[in-house]
Amino acid sequence: MTVTDETSFDPYMTAIIANRIDGIVREMTNTLLRAARSAVINSARDFSCSICTADDQLLASAEGLPIHIFGSHMQARAMRLAHEGDLKDGDCYLHNDPYTGNTHAADHTFLVPVFFEGEHLFTTVAKAHQADTGNSLPTTYMAGAKDQYAEGSLIFPSVRIQRDNEMIEDIVRMCRSRIRVPDQWYGDFLAGIGAARVAERRLKELCAKYGKAQIKTFIRDWLDYSEQRMVQALRKLPKATLSASGAHDPFGDLLPEGIPLKVKVSIDPDEAMVELDLLDNVDNVDCGFNESEACATAASIAGVFNSIDPTIPRNSGSFRRIKVLLRDGAVCGRPKFPHSCSVATTNVADRLVNLTQSAMAQIGDGWGLAEGGIGLGGGMAVVSGKDHRYEDGRYINQLHLGSSGGPGAPSADGWPTYGIPVIAGLMYRDSIEIDELKHPIEVRYMRLKAGTAGAGRQRGAPALEFEYGPKELPMDVLWPCDGTHYPPKGVRGGGDGVTAKHFKIAADGSEKELPNIVVDKLVKGERIRGHHTSGGGYGHPFERSPAKVLKDVIDGFETVERAGQVYGVVLTGSLDQETLAVDEPATIDRRRGRS
Amino acid sequence: MAYRISVDTGGTFTDVVVADATGTMTIGKALTTHERIFDGMSDAIADAAEQLGTTLGQLLAVTRLLIYGTTRATNAIVTKRIAKTAFLATRGFPDVLLLKEGGKFNPHDFSKDFPEPYIPRSHTFEITERMSSEGTVSVPFDEAQARATLKKIKARGFEALAVCFLWSIANPAHEQRMGELIAEMLPGLPVTLSHQLIPVVREYRRASATAIDASLKPLMQAHLKGLERDLRAAGYKGEILISTTAGGCGHIDAITEKPIYTVGSGPAMAPLAGIVFSKLENLGDNVIICDTGGTTFDVGLVRDGRLTFSRDTWLGPMYTGDLLGISAVDMRSIGAGGGSIAWIDEGGLMRVGPQSAGSMPGPACYGRGGTLPTVSDAATVLGYFDPHNFLGGRMRLDVEAARRAVASVAERIGLTVEEAAYRIISLASDLMMRAVGDITINEGVSPRESTIVAGGGAAGLNIMKIAEELGCRRVVLPKVASALSAAGMQHADIVAEEAASLVTLSTSFDVDGVNTMLKDLAGKLESFRAGLASGSDDYAVECIAEARYLSQVWELDTPLPKHRFDGPEDVAALVESFHQVHERVFAVRDTSSPVEVVNWRMRLVVRLSTPPLTSPEAPEKPSGEARHHRNCYFGGSQPVSTGIFRSEELEPGLRIEGPAIVEEPTTTLVVYPGMAAVVSGAGNYLLHVA
Repeated sequence: MTVTDETSFDPYMTAIIANRIDGIVREMTNTLLRAARSAVINSARDFSCSICTADDQLLASAEGLPIHIFGSHMQARAMRLAHEGDLKDGDCYLHNDPYTGNTHAADHTFLVPVFFEGEHLFTTVAKAHQADTGNSLPTTYMAGAKDQYAEGSLIFPSVRIQRDNEMIEDIVRMCRSRIRVPDQWYGDFLAGIGAARVAERRLKELCAKYGKAQIKTFIRDWLDYSEQRMVQALRKLPKATLSASGAHDPFGDLLPEGIPLKVKVSIDPDEAMVELDLLDNVDNVDCGFNESEACATAASIAGVFNSIDPTIPRNSGSFRRIKVLLRDGAVCGRPKFPHSCSVATTNVADRLVNLTQSAMAQIGDGWGLAEGGIGLGGGMAVVSGKDHRYEDGRYINQLHLGSSGGPGAPSADGWPTYGIPVIAGLMYRDSIEIDELKHPIEVRYMRLKAGTAGAGRQRGAPALEFEYGPKELPMDVLWPCDGTHYPPKGVRGGGDGVTAKHFKIAADGSEKELPNIVVDKLVKGERIRGHHTSGGGYGHPFERSPAKVLKDVIDGFETVERAGQVYGVVLTGSLDQETLAVDEPATIDRRRGRS
Repeated sequence: MAYRISVDTGGTFTDVVVADATGTMTIGKALTTHERIFDGMSDAIADAAEQLGTTLGQLLAVTRLLIYGTTRATNAIVTKRIAKTAFLATRGFPDVLLLKEGGKFNPHDFSKDFPEPYIPRSHTFEITERMSSEGTVSVPFDEAQARATLKKIKARGFEALAVCFLWSIANPAHEQRMGELIAEMLPGLPVTLSHQLIPVVREYRRASATAIDASLKPLMQAHLKGLERDLRAAGYKGEILISTTAGGCGHIDAITEKPIYTVGSGPAMAPLAGIVFSKLENLGDNVIICDTGGTTFDVGLVRDGRLTFSRDTWLGPMYTGDLLGISAVDMRSIGAGGGSIAWIDEGGLMRVGPQSAGSMPGPACYGRGGTLPTVSDAATVLGYFDPHNFLGGRMRLDVEAARRAVASVAERIGLTVEEAAYRIISLASDLMMRAVGDITINEGVSPRESTIVAGGGAAGLNIMKIAEELGCRRVVLPKVASALSAAGMQHADIVAEEAASLVTLSTSFDVDGVNTMLKDLAGKLESFRAGLASGSDDYAVECIAEARYLSQVWELDTPLPKHRFDGPEDVAALVESFHQVHERVFAVRDTSSPVEVVNWRMRLVVRLSTPPLTSPEAPEKPSGEARHHRNCYFGGSQPVSTGIFRSEELEPGLRIEGPAIVEEPTTTLVVYPGMAAVVSGAGNYLLHVA
């Protein structure tokens, strides 16, 4: 079966135009990053840009976050259907409705339909996580929201915000009246529109240069080519039906056992198809942990992409080879209104990425990944309050100081800058100095915690530990952590990561352990300390080369004790005198005794 | 006659440009000798001397100024042959160099280990101290603990020390005290204090620059002193200056204090050549510099006659390499050049690079066993190179090997070898075009209103195609294109920079604080200038505010009209200057937002007397028929009889219509059909793409 039409596919011209399109998405990305106001966008890069076709196919996404972009074509479709017959050149739409294609309400998505010679050819999509969207509590992750009403975010189901390139000021006034720190929001709003518009301008230039017919041919060929790449990748896999199950952490009395989750992966190399079955999952829950359709799809697809050739283009062409089965009203399916999807992009989504990639690891050595570190803990809290240094001006933002540890992979260790599975290392870390400059906080420490990595032939990344608190005035801190109860798992004999742990330190130094989901206020002298989870290991730790174990001890990632007990590597000499070395005979003996 | 010599020692070749009193430039080339740089350098100078009808000794004896650019520091970093360096950090923050700023290109790629930090964790020492963001002491400096740490460092035999404490830029007292203790307990050991080298906010950037700088000190000190000794022993009595990544040059003593400024100093000189050749040919002062080598394509910008700078220069890949952190001439590099390999991927798409054949085995046409089709092989197949006279006869090309290599791609996509070869060159050009697009778009510069100055041995192959795609109508290929950086050095001035971090808002502007700080910066530069030998009266001082709208985090370089704020009108002028920059780069201005300045830089430029520039009027006349012809291909499967012009047959004013090939001893220019090249009065090539 040949998917690509060999007789008309032009390998050269397709490459040229793909190169141009990729450049356009990068220009969008640069515009949004550098012109935005809130740290969650301009420091942490919690946003994504993409280009869709007029018939709602995702065409290109450059370096966007998988959780963001895999659903952007659903939003392009929602825009088109809502304004059938009234889409015009010069329009721009705001969309954040998790029931019609968005990820969660905190991701404001700017859509510009691109017209050329009077025909709608593309929709440019810029999606950015906002510092605030007017929720009933000062956070963009409302774990406790019983439903969308309790969540309280303003919802924009494809709402027109510009016509003829002029702002519809009513919308701006609505947002300014509800969203915290409105000037910060407005700066991000302009940056988002700017990114979608810059791509519009460039796409029109592209169409003028190559002509409509050639551009249409390119769209067809590029999607076919991408599908072909996926076909090749899937044909290298064995025929298999794999399944993995796990759970999201408990949440107080509401979910004492947490949320059980199941993913079934069926690989059919003959048909070059992979099916992701999420049907066998529980109903929606009365809190913010429900998946939107976009997130359930994107997270499980990301788990597949994490396990195949990473250079395969991510668009509707390659997606044709992945079938995702979702159930209406399931916690990771299509949500039933008015359930809240406030935390849809992270917690359950992270578990879905992990389940899918660890299921892929069951294929055999060399496939899949261990589970990556999960949990938006204290290092990624949303903090807010008043800043005594700037005449008590208000601030609200999500910190990106901490990170969970990345998963062990078939041939590489986990990355400590991983973030969480849906971020996959893409986002930036905050500078301590910039965070202290922009918020009235002081960080006491931020460092790797030795001996926490999920052990393995390829180990996970260790956890990062931190401590911080407000300076003068009280500060609200909110986070919806996961992994405090159920750690990320290792695969193929690898060890599990550590669970997350957080403490509140009182002004007198006494400590109290915090639950996983935190809504708290810190006053002067009080601090938060703790760490998120680490990544799971891949392969048995006894298979890790002793030289690597030695290096980990020298670098302070691992301890001498764990080298012996967990990795079976016996060390001699002294770390301080730079004489630490592997005792090879003793190591061989210890590893032989492996049970 | 008095000469000046500039030397650019690259990884493979050492380029020398010798300029005489009339400004006429002669190129010398030799292989770089890494064990003793002077050997390769003297070979290259001797090569130029021979062309001038003299000898190495005689030429050195009558040379007044030698400017030296080196990749020594860059190579030491890439090959990890830096000094054993201890990194001293604030207690609680040992992982600043390890964690960097995060980020990654491909979310699905889990095939690579996390990069090693520039200085290993086991060489990192935490010092008990902490300053707050307001510059107050949060944790007092623990002198006893610091002394105990230094004792340990001494015992472990470290060769250099880098000190970067949090918020040392708000209050340097703890870093200063640390410096005093080091001087007392480890006298003579090279040390870099972050607030002195790079007083900017963002601890990773500061720490990375500080660590790089300290780690280079022992090495660069020895290297530059050794070179000076060798030059003196060879009879050279003139002045020696070292080129820097700040876009100028300085004396050996100043450079050994801040050796980080030699990292990337070679490419940083190319934009200087860009300005010179564009102005020389009356083509304005907005210039895009494209330097094509065997493995990389470097792009830089000159806007309104000024170099552009960036603090985002990575050694190695973005995110996972090491950030230079200092404000350096912004040259961006992509992996595309004559050695880039063409291939067809699993989906049937044609690709060029990022893999490169490098110099060993090199392109198939080099006949050293390479079998994969490269851009150079494509050019060989198309007849653009004379296989018997490549690089002025220094190499013979294996045409059959090139054809075999390209055929492996051509067969996969059902084209003739020549058709495939043309597409390989076009696709490579397109990648280069996008690299130019990225930098010009980021800086808000229109290629259509700029002049391209092309350099590098492989530049002439496709610069006209790149220019055509960019819509750029003014293009210069200098006669010395193959030694563009060395040519730029001929026009370098002595540059010194001082910077300070002082965060202030336009709505509550700290007039006194800023004025005191600016005066302090100016004072430092003035005492530097006073310390220079002769001819330092012709100078200028520029001041740059690194500013942003309140709550943005990425600053834009904003020129300050005045170096002192006398009243609200001067603050307003700064704000207006920032709005203009923001509008140029991002196409919007937010007049309702306060402007926040984070860092301040002052730059002293002491002008050196540079070679004169003259491009005499040369009335245009048609070249007429070429003396030689060769079959070349320009996209079709049928050969086109193409005129071949040798540089020695050309004279000013000649207009060569494409298709044609111009052969210079160190570069080849392809004039595509429908395009033309004109030899300028100065002997450069003015290219007309349409």
